[in-house]
Amino acid sequence: MSGVPKQLLHLLEDAAQAAKVGYTLLVEPHFREGNDYSSEAYRDSAQSVVKRFHTAKMALRVTEIIVDTATTKTLRLERTDGVLPHFEAGQYINLFVEIDGVKTSRPFTPSSRPGCGYLDVTVKESPGGFVSTYLLERTRVGDRFESTGADGHFHLDEITDRQELVFLAGGSGITPFMSILRDLVHRGWNKRVHLLYGCRVPDDVIFGAELAQLARDRPDQFRYSLVVSEPPAGYAGLTGLLDAALVRRQVGAPEASGSPGDRSYYVCGSRLMADYCRGELLDLGVPRHRIKLDLLGPPVDVTHEPDWPVEVAGDSERELDVPGRGRYRVRVGEPLMSSLERNGVVTPARCRSGSCGVCRAQVLSGQVFMPADTGIRESDKAHGYIHACVAYPLTDLVLKIPD
Amino acid sequence: MDKMIHKAPVQPDIRKSRYDVIVVGAGLGGLSAATSLARSGRSVLLLERHNLPGGVATSFVRGRFEFEVSLHELSGIGQPEHQLALYRYLQELGVAQRIGFTPIPEMFRAVFPDLDLVLPVGVEAYEATVCAAFPHEAEGIRRFLGRVRDTMAEAWEAERLDSVPRMLRKLPSFHNLLRYITATWGTVLNRDVQDPKARAVLSQYWGYLGNAVSRAPFLYMSGVLMSYMRYGPVYIKGRSQALSNAFVAAFEGFGGELRLSTGVATITTTRGRVDGVVTERGERIAADVVISNGDPITTCNQLIGTENVPAGFFRSLRPRTVGPSSINVYLGLACPPEEVGLTSYANFVSEDYDQENHWEGMNEVVPPKAIAVTVYNVEEPAISPPGTTALTLTALSYGEPWTRILPEDYVATKTRIAQSMISLAERIAPNLREHIEVVEIATPITNMRYAGAQGGSIYGFDNHAFDHTVLRMSPVGPLGGLYFVGGWTQPGCGFEPCMMSGKLVAREIMRRSERK
Repeated sequence: MSGVPKQLLHLLEDAAQAAKVGYTLLVEPHFREGNDYSSEAYRDSAQSVVKRFHTAKMALRVTEIIVDTATTKTLRLERTDGVLPHFEAGQYINLFVEIDGVKTSRPFTPSSRPGCGYLDVTVKESPGGFVSTYLLERTRVGDRFESTGADGHFHLDEITDRQELVFLAGGSGITPFMSILRDLVHRGWNKRVHLLYGCRVPDDVIFGAELAQLARDRPDQFRYSLVVSEPPAGYAGLTGLLDAALVRRQVGAPEASGSPGDRSYYVCGSRLMADYCRGELLDLGVPRHRIKLDLLGPPVDVTHEPDWPVEVAGDSERELDVPGRGRYRVRVGEPLMSSLERNGVVTPARCRSGSCGVCRAQVLSGQVFMPADTGIRESDKAHGYIHACVAYPLTDLVLKIPD
Repeated sequence: MDKMIHKAPVQPDIRKSRYDVIVVGAGLGGLSAATSLARSGRSVLLLERHNLPGGVATSFVRGRFEFEVSLHELSGIGQPEHQLALYRYLQELGVAQRIGFTPIPEMFRAVFPDLDLVLPVGVEAYEATVCAAFPHEAEGIRRFLGRVRDTMAEAWEAERLDSVPRMLRKLPSFHNLLRYITATWGTVLNRDVQDPKARAVLSQYWGYLGNAVSRAPFLYMSGVLMSYMRYGPVYIKGRSQALSNAFVAAFEGFGGELRLSTGVATITTTRGRVDGVVTERGERIAADVVISNGDPITTCNQLIGTENVPAGFFRSLRPRTVGPSSINVYLGLACPPEEVGLTSYANFVSEDYDQENHWEGMNEVVPPKAIAVTVYNVEEPAISPPGTTALTLTALSYGEPWTRILPEDYVATKTRIAQSMISLAERIAPNLREHIEVVEIATPITNMRYAGAQGGSIYGFDNHAFDHTVLRMSPVGPLGGLYFVGGWTQPGCGFEPCMMSGKLVAREIMRRSERK
């Protein structure tokens, strides 16, 4: 075909297309063509789809209280407003409690596996622990709680996990590993796992019998090493801390990334224990990206944090002004979120470890301290936003909090 | 430690129950409209369900990485010596002064099975590179790019005229615009260029609009190509969260009031006019004008109530289709980008040249055949700690098929899809997997969760030859006082159009109130 008729053809084609567009927009709708966005199919919002995949809140009831050790109990919970949602073993829920008029919450990682029909919240006694004392001493079968759905990133990951996994647990930090191990038993093992469980004394060991039995049942897939730091006289097992030497003896030296002996390390325990273990693993030569740490909660004593200004005493007080809410005297050494709760102001809360960001608030004037590992966004920081669950008032503050 | 003393304006203690304007949703459209109107002296209340402003112009932290949620390349900014419309607008609002931009010197790297091409910024440079790769098609390629340039020159001139009567007077001289305004990209391209490989390279930005090449509007595809080719894309220092936070600071500086974690349950109406909102907590707030940054379908059916909306409005939406959502795999690597061979900022990796088929795949939950690999560190080294890399693998997928997955299969499904995307990325970054420290997968369900749009759509309605720029849904709503902003409405989807939609709506509201 020569150039000119082709050009003409194209022009006609374009004119026809213009007519078609006009028809589509102006005429077709009157013949009920296309999508009826007022029909039932479109009345369901995206939010209702999301509810099937992500649970925001759950109502729970205590069905059983199991005494694990002299200092630990497990509250078995059932959901009363629906079926328990699917979650990934190792994820946490935030449990809301009201104690003597104070509304607060604490994150707990269920020790039960996903899909078993209940949630086990395992609580260990801690001296002066406001919530743990309440849960251990004043909670009864039949008591009701509310919680968030499960969340968090401390779970197995098919994309990054190596064939061989090493779990380092400290004290009650065993709970996510229990959930993960029980889930592996239920779904079928496709990994080799070595659990190093550090406890102060043998009496502190939670789930000891179940773990020992599991190791006997699956000698090729699961190894269990209990390590006691303050052994009683004549104690025959492993003793000491979860240090580099012990990991090397029990697990072996780290091997090159990508080699068959390459391992993934998961650490859960107190802030102190986790920091220590990570340091030891790095000293041993474990690459940083093979170490995963669970959420650690706020520092036990924030004034011991490396960059805490030494001249500021943790027990001094500051004035906190929340426009529209009130003015409060708050303790420097307590997270702002907890101080607010103590004064009857409940702000959104989930991880209470500085990571999830639901407690994002804005400092309008004043100065706060947050630990270095707080998951604060770069630009949030520049605009004075804080994560109130791990923010401490260094000066008097004016704070804008979300509703 | 945070040593800064912040001097943000202290908010008034008492809450008002009446505003001139309520904006529902603090996505970029909502932020832009709210800031413009607050600047004009109106009392504006901006309500956002999430605890964070920005919609998808946000970031999130995992371990030692802070990931960009959605921004790949921002258009409309230009260079210091040649500032474009969006930049000038952001400057007017006092937003541009609060952020910094990083120019991206390359358009992208295109990787196909037997082709690996880096396209530089610059009209001549881009054309020369494509022609050199396909010398046998050089003539057709030049002719085609000439059409793109001429059409866009006319489109930009029409935009600059900024008045309907003036535009109508000039209309006869806009030959290309008149001819191609309803054309599809595929039709025009296929006339000039025959080699499917050359077509694929020229259509590489199809994912930024998300419709099949055979259906995507020529005008909008030309706009995307021209604006990146001529002026080059930029990235925002501090990620797109910095843009959203800058909007909030400017908005509050003008006396606007933002309430986060405050969802709207109902937009109330009397006698065919909107008159306020009721929040999810039951608070009733009155306003003469309500601007929705939500999608028009959910806004009308859920917030206003289907029965309160004139049937004619739903009729006008009939030809339109809900656009695609996205799958994002956010990766934090424990090595610098060059260690895995990543040298370009924007990379498009495709399994083959059949982009029509890549679009087909978006209608099912299957491994994507084409992904974008955005390696932020290449141009913005400070985006992650020294010796690491933050990158995102992006594919498009319609949301609907994802809603049919069983919740208990969700994790396994998204992991399987992410694995396939990582495998595709490994074509340009061998052994990428070995270096992953952090991985987070966001699916259409994630988009629904955080942005709340129908189908988790990231582009609003699909971009069709009958649904783009002036042919897109009007921002003026079906009820008095109701307006729409965001990607579903004019001028279209993407960062720049969403912000411009806020400008458009604010101007329309001001114009109408002056007339009264």
